[in-house]
Amino acid sequence: MTQRRQFLMNTAALAATAALPLGARAQGAPAIKVGVLHPVTGALAYSGNLSRLGAQIALDEINAAGGIKSMGGVKLAALLGDAQSKPEVGVAEVEKMNEQGASAIVGSYASAICLATTQAAAKYNIPHVVDVGVADQIVTRGLKNTFRFGPGYKITTEAAINNLHIMNTVARKPAKTVMIIHEESLFGTGTANLLASQLPGMGYEVKEIVKHANPTRDFNNIVLKMKSINPDIVIPANYYNEYALLLRTMKQQNVTPKAVFSVLGGAASSFKFVKEFADAANGVIDVNHWYNPKDKRAQALRKKVEAMPGQFYTYEVFLNYQCMYLLADAIERAKSSKREDIINALASSTWDKHFMPYGPTKFVNGQNTGAAPLTLQVLKGDIKVILPNTFAETEPVFPWKV
Amino acid sequence: MRSLASIAVLVLAVGLLPLFVSSGVTLGFVTMVLYATLLGQAWNILGGFGGQFSFGHAVFFGTGAYAMAVLQMRFGLNAWAALPCAIALGGVAGTLLGALSFRYGLRGSYFALVTLAFAEVFRILANTFDFTGAGVGLQLPLQEGAAQLQFATETGYLYLALALATVSLLFAWWLKHSRYGAWLAAVRDNEDSAAALGVNAFRVKLVAITVSGALMAAGGAFYVQKFHYIDPHLAYGAPISVEALLSAIIGGMGTVFGPLLGAVVLHGLGELTRNSLSSTPGASLVIYGALLVLIIMFMPRGIAGLFEGKR
Repeated sequence: MTQRRQFLMNTAALAATAALPLGARAQGAPAIKVGVLHPVTGALAYSGNLSRLGAQIALDEINAAGGIKSMGGVKLAALLGDAQSKPEVGVAEVEKMNEQGASAIVGSYASAICLATTQAAAKYNIPHVVDVGVADQIVTRGLKNTFRFGPGYKITTEAAINNLHIMNTVARKPAKTVMIIHEESLFGTGTANLLASQLPGMGYEVKEIVKHANPTRDFNNIVLKMKSINPDIVIPANYYNEYALLLRTMKQQNVTPKAVFSVLGGAASSFKFVKEFADAANGVIDVNHWYNPKDKRAQALRKKVEAMPGQFYTYEVFLNYQCMYLLADAIERAKSSKREDIINALASSTWDKHFMPYGPTKFVNGQNTGAAPLTLQVLKGDIKVILPNTFAETEPVFPWKV
Repeated sequence: MRSLASIAVLVLAVGLLPLFVSSGVTLGFVTMVLYATLLGQAWNILGGFGGQFSFGHAVFFGTGAYAMAVLQMRFGLNAWAALPCAIALGGVAGTLLGALSFRYGLRGSYFALVTLAFAEVFRILANTFDFTGAGVGLQLPLQEGAAQLQFATETGYLYLALALATVSLLFAWWLKHSRYGAWLAAVRDNEDSAAALGVNAFRVKLVAITVSGALMAAGGAFYVQKFHYIDPHLAYGAPISVEALLSAIIGGMGTVFGPLLGAVVLHGLGELTRNSLSSTPGASLVIYGALLVLIIMFMPRGIAGLFEGKR
């Protein structure tokens, strides 16, 4: 009995100690509170944590550079939220941030969570800058508080199809057949549907569409099927683990299509993948969120992130980094921490001090109309921009020569 | 009668809450507790009162959720009309699943596994067919207004959750005091003995799973109206089945207020740990899990068992 009591006392003491930092954080100079909401636990924890990292780096930089200057150097304070990879928890976090006095929210990575959090934030007129969430429904519901800095799903897929066609045409059309392998949720299915409906019109035969569950830990059968179909182009639309596993299995089974071409590919535009599976990654083409490679600030941030132990410079990091700066610019111009003022400032934003290939921001119905993806290819252990030509670092290698 | 009075007090207290509390966090918390109570009670009717452990109650939740979304989006039904249809479809799903599994005498772990399998089959079906939106899911159009069963404030959802949870609590109370409830308890304790005494065990279990399915479907319908989005994983995924059984088991199986107590504790702990450790991802879940282990260690009959022991 004594042991049990001791155990309970120790647990209670531990819980009390763990709760301390919250109280400590609450004490500080008046600052503009910004909700930083991501799924940092659960199935999306990897991306969520990278997203949080990007937002925090930007926030620290903004504060170190003197905060919001038009308001006498007021600092930004992060209200960290964890959506636990569930829309309903994301909503609960928005409610909490509202009561903590958040002037704005940046987040919340996944489309399903963004749909819920933007709507919850709209109830309180909290400006919500969407960091990633590519589903186009996020910005088509008429929510005045929602602003997406990056490109949506439709723009990205259309760019991908166009660029694929350009590359193929320039190379005298060596690719005629396509096989699509996609994961089963909104992202993979949506991509596959769009590609399957548009590619035939451009002269490509979609030979096979294979859907797989999340998680899938064995791609041998799918790759065997691929071997028998022998498509010219393989288009994967899945998350990091499955993407990496699929490409590794293709490597093992010696399947070498003319191109592995993906849209918002889970691993293709990840330095982690390129570093860990250099052989499998080599030559892969992906259309994804990417920075202007010619911008020194983007490269400086890359160095900064890569200097951190175990961190990689991914789109989650730099998109959140930029979204936080976009918000700071709006607050700077609004000269106010009031939600309505920030919404108005975001709506009229023409911010051009970012390193994304978007041009000055212009929001129409909450979507940054200049936002566009870049086409990338893994070459010699690095990720290079190959299209459009304005941002290209090198020529595409298409078809891929083994 | 004391239980009935307690339900009345609960309804009154929660009903009056918005008059005194304007905090969205508090009202949201109470709403989600009531929603979890509904899910827990749905599971409790079959698992707690009936002794038929299900690991796949998401099959009913998802049916209700998809029915609610599909009827509105594909058939243009008003949400108020879609709600009873969704609940009824959940009941029908319960009847079918029960008829199939009980007819073949599936009990214990076999029944648990077959429910799990059904939930998975439904998840794959929802993932395949276009009318459920396949993997993309369904997003309910935003049309705020009581006529559309979409509320601009938390109060509307609070009352909806309260109404549904109250129905589930009243049914549990009726089970405790009715002849049918006694039959169900007899089947739970010893099905063969109950059958020998003339109880039609098959029919008794079938009614329980039908009501359980209907209540779970009501939870699914509520989810769609509140969050406006459903996909196969959210609807038929394991987390929903676990949430339902966890509230009932932590709170006390086979008791009227067990799922409510379980929901309060689970959501309370979840909020507490998440709020206190927001800067250390995952730490809140570790503490949450550890506290659950403690509860199960020291309260094997659930929280409601504590009160029973003192009588």
